[in-house]
Amino acid sequence: MPKQQPIELFMPPNMLKAKVGGSAVGLDSAAIKRAEQAMESLKTEFTDWINADVRKLGECRDGFAKEPNADSQGDLYRAAHDLKGQALTFGHPMAARVASSLCKLLDGNTNAPLALIDAHVDAIRVIVKQNVKDSAIANMLATELEGRVAEALAAG
Amino acid sequence: MNGYRFDRLRILVVDDNPHMRKLVTTILQAFGANQIFDAADAQRGWTMLREINPDVVFLDWMMGGMTGLDLVKMVRTSVASANPFVPIVMLTSYAQLDHVRAARDAGVNEFLAKPVSARAILTRLTAVIEHPRPYVRTKAYFGPCRRRRGHDEYRGPERRVAGADTFVDVAEAMPA
Repeated sequence: MPKQQPIELFMPPNMLKAKVGGSAVGLDSAAIKRAEQAMESLKTEFTDWINADVRKLGECRDGFAKEPNADSQGDLYRAAHDLKGQALTFGHPMAARVASSLCKLLDGNTNAPLALIDAHVDAIRVIVKQNVKDSAIANMLATELEGRVAEALAAG
Repeated sequence: MNGYRFDRLRILVVDDNPHMRKLVTTILQAFGANQIFDAADAQRGWTMLREINPDVVFLDWMMGGMTGLDLVKMVRTSVASANPFVPIVMLTSYAQLDHVRAARDAGVNEFLAKPVSARAILTRLTAVIEHPRPYVRTKAYFGPCRRRRGHDEYRGPERRVAGADTFVDVAEAMPA
């Protein structure tokens, strides 16, 4: 039986509701439509954005290759993590998938083989450069990388 | 139609990725928000929290230096915090259950797994406006109640033992 202790529970005044007013009847579909249109207008910039993110990934890879340590691995992980979260928004689901595999490889793993890191970084570069959305070859590549990561993690 | 006046809210977006900051800001502006502030790291976010005292915070988890999770803990527990109750929506590429639990245990109000969408952001905003959670203070935790919403449908034994303001909750009292 866990030790029980009294806790304090209280409801602060709902200042947000007081400020914004409105009603709680579902989501405002007009607001969503406006925001989606605003996102559409940003799409012309998405290519520049994903290219910048891929460049940063490459720079972090170079930093890690030059001086492999916790800091450089952290930088590389964060760059991959950004791509994992954003590439789908920017219209590159395959890049997001490969970035996710790279994150898995790097997350807490101090023995991540550079060759496997490079395979991921190169794959992301090609996928973005050639604007590969979905293809049998890209799927095979991603599956292969994911398999290699599983093997690397299992090997410790 | 909600008719929310988002223009009345000060919203802080903390993300080290400039593209994500611009994307989230663009979506919030389309909702009508026009007092949007941003910070490129958690340390700057902490400073801005104290300077502008925002009504809502959108916060990235994975940042260099201080993480978003560290910042949430500071907001909730530091004596220097401008508003320990400020609603925080955690934006992250993490989507596994253990990450959701870690965010919850740090004191996050809502969790939004990337990729972000207009609908997902409005859903989280609406949640903090319409369904605010009560706050809980224990020896080890201060922040939004970590019980699931809808717990009023709970059919198990009643464990609350005191009045409306104080009770014993096994889940909250147990170490995380």
